[in-house]
Amino acid sequence: MLAVVSAGVPHTYFNRISSPSSSSSYSLSINEKKINTRIGWSNRMDDNINNNNNKMMKKKTKDVFVTSASASASAQPLQDADALIDSVETFIFDCDGVIWKGDKLIDGVPQTLELLRSKGKRLVFVTNNSTKSRKQYGKKFETLGLSVNEEEIFASSFAAAAYLQSIDFPKDKKIYVIGEEGILIELELAGYSYLGGPEDGGKKIELKPGFYMEHDKDVGAVVVGFDRYFNYYKVQYGTLCVRENPGCLFLATNRDAVTHLTDAQEWAGGGSMVGALVGSTQREPLVVGKPSTFMMDYLANKFGITKSQICMVGDRLDTDILFGQNGGCKTLLVLSGVTSLPMLQNPNNSIQPDFYTNKISDFLSLKAASV
Amino acid sequence: MGDNKSTPPPPSQPLSLTNVNSLLDSVDCFLFDCDGVIWKGDTLIDGVPQTLEMLRTKGKKLVFVTNNSTKSRKQYAHKFQSLGIHVTQEEIFSSSFAAAMYLKVNEFPPEKKVYVIGGEGIIEELKLAGFTGIGGPEDAKKTVQLKANTLFEHDKSVGAVIVGLDPHLNYYKLQYGTLCIRENPGCIFIATNRDATGNMTDLQEWPGAGCMVAAICGSTQKEPITVGKPSTFLMDFLQKQYKIPTDKMCMVGDRLDTDILFGQNAGCKTLLVLSGVTNMSTLQDPSNHIQPDIYTNQVSDIFDLLNS
Repeated sequence: MLAVVSAGVPHTYFNRISSPSSSSSYSLSINEKKINTRIGWSNRMDDNINNNNNKMMKKKTKDVFVTSASASASAQPLQDADALIDSVETFIFDCDGVIWKGDKLIDGVPQTLELLRSKGKRLVFVTNNSTKSRKQYGKKFETLGLSVNEEEIFASSFAAAAYLQSIDFPKDKKIYVIGEEGILIELELAGYSYLGGPEDGGKKIELKPGFYMEHDKDVGAVVVGFDRYFNYYKVQYGTLCVRENPGCLFLATNRDAVTHLTDAQEWAGGGSMVGALVGSTQREPLVVGKPSTFMMDYLANKFGITKSQICMVGDRLDTDILFGQNGGCKTLLVLSGVTSLPMLQNPNNSIQPDFYTNKISDFLSLKAASV
Repeated sequence: MGDNKSTPPPPSQPLSLTNVNSLLDSVDCFLFDCDGVIWKGDTLIDGVPQTLEMLRTKGKKLVFVTNNSTKSRKQYAHKFQSLGIHVTQEEIFSSSFAAAMYLKVNEFPPEKKVYVIGGEGIIEELKLAGFTGIGGPEDAKKTVQLKANTLFEHDKSVGAVIVGLDPHLNYYKLQYGTLCIRENPGCIFIATNRDATGNMTDLQEWPGAGCMVAAICGSTQKEPITVGKPSTFLMDFLQKQYKIPTDKMCMVGDRLDTDILFGQNAGCKTLLVLSGVTNMSTLQDPSNHIQPDIYTNQVSDIFDLLNS
């Protein structure tokens, strides 16, 4: 049966997938990475066959055609940036580690975005960070001297609200939020009422005889994201809603293990808070942020873009690159964030983007002539 | 006790007049879980003292194996005493004790520190075993500054992080534990236990250590070494002390995936009580594959049946 001391015991815990059947494709948990990669690869192969851009196709087919899902070709260093730019219509950028680090802009970003816009490319920014609303992100871009429209920004806080709208979540039901202001703002904008958020950070628990925690029976969904005010009160409240309110949804904005909240170091990310709720409810959440393709499908639909015409640019393999692959896009990994070249090339890593480069401003310097 | 997963296990039998005597005759040592079996929070469950007394007078050894790491063995002995039950420290095997013993048995260097996300119980047991625990209840008041030029520091000499039940969980602790595991070379990640919920108070269930442990799994993408039930780590200590073969032991608990699985893993008889987190429908649900030998409402049923 169980090995003695050295085994963690995850398999003795029920791992029921709680997502509504219509969105089962979105409930990708971190443990299912290998499966995600297989799905991603088959999507990509289909798209490649349908892709009309022959120049790009020939090169890519030679580089990346695989017969078996588990043997993915390794990422190529980006050499001909113009060719990549010409082959797609839209660039989706992750933010942390790609555009900025904490509150510091990464070198050459403004000029790069300018270049892409001047070539008529659509730019979209997709971030798993749920602490701010789209509008607040718009302000951040502005402060850093970048001209980005709120409509071009898709944060996982927005994704949570958009998901609820997409399933016609009833407006008379409430949402319990374990997370920060960004989620609250987006829910309100979408016309929903919520409970919780940062103010529950001050609530205390006294585990003594006769103490009973009540919870609102009208809560129909619990949304969990990064929460620096995380505490036991919130875990219990969320757990009671999920376990006891019939049909209560359990949504996660994202499950990033760590995140660059400041430029100097990594910080425990949303994966931690979501993990805590998974531990107490023994249910898996429906994830709306990367690598789930919800946001990809949403914006492809909204802007009328074909996924093979998109290049996803990110710094994290198990969210950004997997997101791009699952969505059937081209993928470019930048090494200006959490992933280093050794990590990319580690034999244990099975997620291979099409290309990798140091940072996005390489678009300015890597030209066909230099190949 | 079949643990062949390909055929479903025989269904659990209710404790009754037909099997209570043979149970007692075949068992020399009763292992009791505490939360949901002996007490709920700080409230004793009816009929427990008389039942334990009766078992002792019949010459049975009593041992208490609890996954709740908030207290040390000594603190548990005090709790029993305050509830009117005489139990010695040596009869108690808490997961706090298990965590310290794991480090001892594996020759953890005493000059390395241990970061604790959990209660006083773990800190005390570490001290008793000669180790230095940092964090614990003290870090409940700490907050985090997310500013451009502030670095969140962590002690590079931390060689192990122990995570257990912590009702004072906060982001500071999550971040500290995460950095130790991710950045200190060879840092061990130990979980006292992974119970999803527990009866921390008499009126309802509360998130268990499983919650805190999963939070750290989420940020480190690592799985811990679990020292509490259902891991049989503690059984080695029990056997050394009592020298009773495991098939002459009976594990009495309220949770299938920790207590009963622990008993089965170790080769003991198993008795499920329905006075805690598990009810009949969970036991009988087709998705449940863990069948204790016997089940009953509560511990005092043993006393009632023998006296009828």
